[in-house]
Amino acid sequence: MKEWLNKGEHWIWLSASTVSISVVLVLSLLAMISYKGLAHFWPHPVYEFNIGSPNGDTTRILGELQETKNKVVVEASGLKTLIPQYLIKMGNRDVFGIDFKWVSSENVQGKMDTLAKDPVVIERYEYGNVYGHFSSFTLNGKTTNDPTQIRSELQVQVAKGKALHSAITSIEKFDMGAVNKHIEDLRFEEKKLRIKGAFTPEDESRLKAERAEFQKTFIAYQAEVKVLYDQKETLGEVAVAISNGQVLRVPVEKVVQFWQPNNMNYVEKLGFFFSSIGHFISEDPREANTEGGIFPAMIGTIVMVLLMTVFVTPMGVVAAIYMREYAKDGLILRLVRISINNLAGVPSIVFGIFGLGFFVYIIGGSIDELFYGYALPSPTFGTPGLLWASLTMALLTLPVVIVSTEEGLSRIPMSLREGGLALGATKSETIWKIVLPMATPAIMTGLILAIARAAGEVAPLMLVGVVKLAPELPIDSVAPFIHLDNKFMHLGFHIYDVGFQSPNVEAAQPLVYATSLLLVIIIVSLNLGAITIRNRLREKYKALEN
Amino acid sequence: MSEAKMNIALDRSNKALSLENEKIAIEVKNWNLYYGDKQALSNVNMLVPENRVTAFIGPSGCGKSTLLRCFNRMNDLIDIVSVEGKMALHGDDMYEKQMDVSALRRRVGMVFQKPNPFPKSIYENVCYGLRLQGIKDKALLDETVEWALKSAGLWEEAKDRLDDNALAMSGGQQQRLCIARAIAIKPDVLLLDEPTSALDPISTLAIEELIFELKKDFTILIVTHNMQQAARVSDYTAFMYMGELIEYSSTDNLFTNPKVKRTEDYITGRYG
Repeated sequence: MKEWLNKGEHWIWLSASTVSISVVLVLSLLAMISYKGLAHFWPHPVYEFNIGSPNGDTTRILGELQETKNKVVVEASGLKTLIPQYLIKMGNRDVFGIDFKWVSSENVQGKMDTLAKDPVVIERYEYGNVYGHFSSFTLNGKTTNDPTQIRSELQVQVAKGKALHSAITSIEKFDMGAVNKHIEDLRFEEKKLRIKGAFTPEDESRLKAERAEFQKTFIAYQAEVKVLYDQKETLGEVAVAISNGQVLRVPVEKVVQFWQPNNMNYVEKLGFFFSSIGHFISEDPREANTEGGIFPAMIGTIVMVLLMTVFVTPMGVVAAIYMREYAKDGLILRLVRISINNLAGVPSIVFGIFGLGFFVYIIGGSIDELFYGYALPSPTFGTPGLLWASLTMALLTLPVVIVSTEEGLSRIPMSLREGGLALGATKSETIWKIVLPMATPAIMTGLILAIARAAGEVAPLMLVGVVKLAPELPIDSVAPFIHLDNKFMHLGFHIYDVGFQSPNVEAAQPLVYATSLLLVIIIVSLNLGAITIRNRLREKYKALEN
Repeated sequence: MSEAKMNIALDRSNKALSLENEKIAIEVKNWNLYYGDKQALSNVNMLVPENRVTAFIGPSGCGKSTLLRCFNRMNDLIDIVSVEGKMALHGDDMYEKQMDVSALRRRVGMVFQKPNPFPKSIYENVCYGLRLQGIKDKALLDETVEWALKSAGLWEEAKDRLDDNALAMSGGQQQRLCIARAIAIKPDVLLLDEPTSALDPISTLAIEELIFELKKDFTILIVTHNMQQAARVSDYTAFMYMGELIEYSSTDNLFTNPKVKRTEDYITGRYG
């Protein structure tokens, strides 16, 4: 033992164990959010069983098992017994008022895990899932009762409904949105002219004609959409017998998709799993964000982070160049350096407050007064938005970029600068053409750290531009393609909102894990992209390291 | 140094070498250099002949590299350095206030102790100085690169891999590339600061042969630790000690017939 201590082996063990603990923690974190998040997309079996109540009534339950917990009961003899409690997802919120129900195993009559025979789960645009059995299907006055036929007909009609749905969304969102924007622009043009006092009768008639033109297009679109809506209404109606014996009639236009989990084989389940993941990342959220996808939050996060790198890179790199290459070493430079390092330690919410006070109110307000005066009092840039969020994040991550760039610059050997100068290059030519390209791996390291920090930050964003539900994406096909004044959604805030601000906590919980998983994946892939670029650059300058 | 010493002519390679018969490229007069308060060069006077190789020898810290770096104003990079005296390149005062330092450095090229190619292709390394001057004519660049690499004795080895990264070459090749890079902008003077101290004997030999070739076109100043090298490659040799120029004359003269006791002690290996 003494020999073992003398050798210093205990230090090896101690340091190795801390590393293993860290690794285990990271891996279990990833494993947990992956499992909990991905389980949400798997088609769970639907169970059917009866529960009794103290007054002798029995209730039939049809639903998915969401979670099992054990209640510990200590008997008088001191014996402990565990009584399982089940959280059952019953759906049919419009009928029952709740989606989820805790059931104690004491009340279950017979076995709890009895698979229901041919149950159907229907996902709706409103009121969540329906759990039940096919009863009938009505289309154009014709009714079928055969489950197989119901199934195949419903499949066809749901596909039609989906096509109609996306056609309507595309017209309403893009075409009508664009026309609305044109009409809005005309209104601003008139306002601008009026403020200038140059509003002539010719202008008035011209604007009126243009407006009439746009209104005509708008009405045409409206008529087009109306036709589609009418078509949607004639898609038929499926009747489902739910667990309390009631028959629930669901119009096909309200159906997102349906599946029969107990009749699926493994391959079908796998297909359903992947298509659910696809829906999750490509669709807009529904029902106060507790259902549907998270596409806008994903796009918002990525656009904000990329925009932040666009702002922070030049600012940080140029500042680092000045401090390392031009500024005279001395007390002031040391003070500046200390301040920058301390800036990295300022709580992020403080940056949020600063962003709101300085960027949004002062700068944004001034921009509005100078350039968007015609739109006042409704603000354009004088309100939280994408631009200010990215700038606030850029400020937050600036120290990291400056510090790592400086480090990179200091590692470039003097001999290379001399080589450039000896050829007649000026100092700035040497810095920009020789030194800076070689410092790019270090700059990339700074950016990697900045991205990791910015993508995970939520608190300051809540003050400067992130909202629960943004009607429009910050990027689209309408010029100027990226809308800096738009508010946007963000995965980090989405997690907080869905998990802790939602009226339906049980429904939201798996979404929280799934969203967290996606956030981690996005950060990791943004970082991997940056790391790949850095490694390629390092490879290029590798021989210099020795 | 007295005029008498300078006037001693000696026979070398069947050709009398004397500063009196040479065209002068650089003139140094009463040259002093200070690092802050510390004087590093004191009262240096010398004439550097054109199209000859002039070697600087002396023990470590004697100021020979510092003096060499004065010829292209490399010492300007160090904030605490101050100089006094006169230094003229073909009659132009190099330390004049209006002097464009970049233009001066284009006339006085330099090769450093450790090869320092840029992390770019061989081709880009050689034409870097030309690109700095804004030359974009591809034919001219190609021609100059070929000429410079041929002059540096690197063309045969490099012609098929001009687009390869210069850092992939061996140390000796890198140093010849640095020489090619320096001569590509056709300077008047070439400063070599211990160019072979980081190289193996074969590469050293190649560089020495190259120096012999290059003096046809350039005035060469070389700092070396190696007295045999000075004796082999140079026409004139300056011995420096403690920041002073002790003795300066044709190489044969200095090595065979040193006039000052310290020079003799140094070249016979009594210290250094």
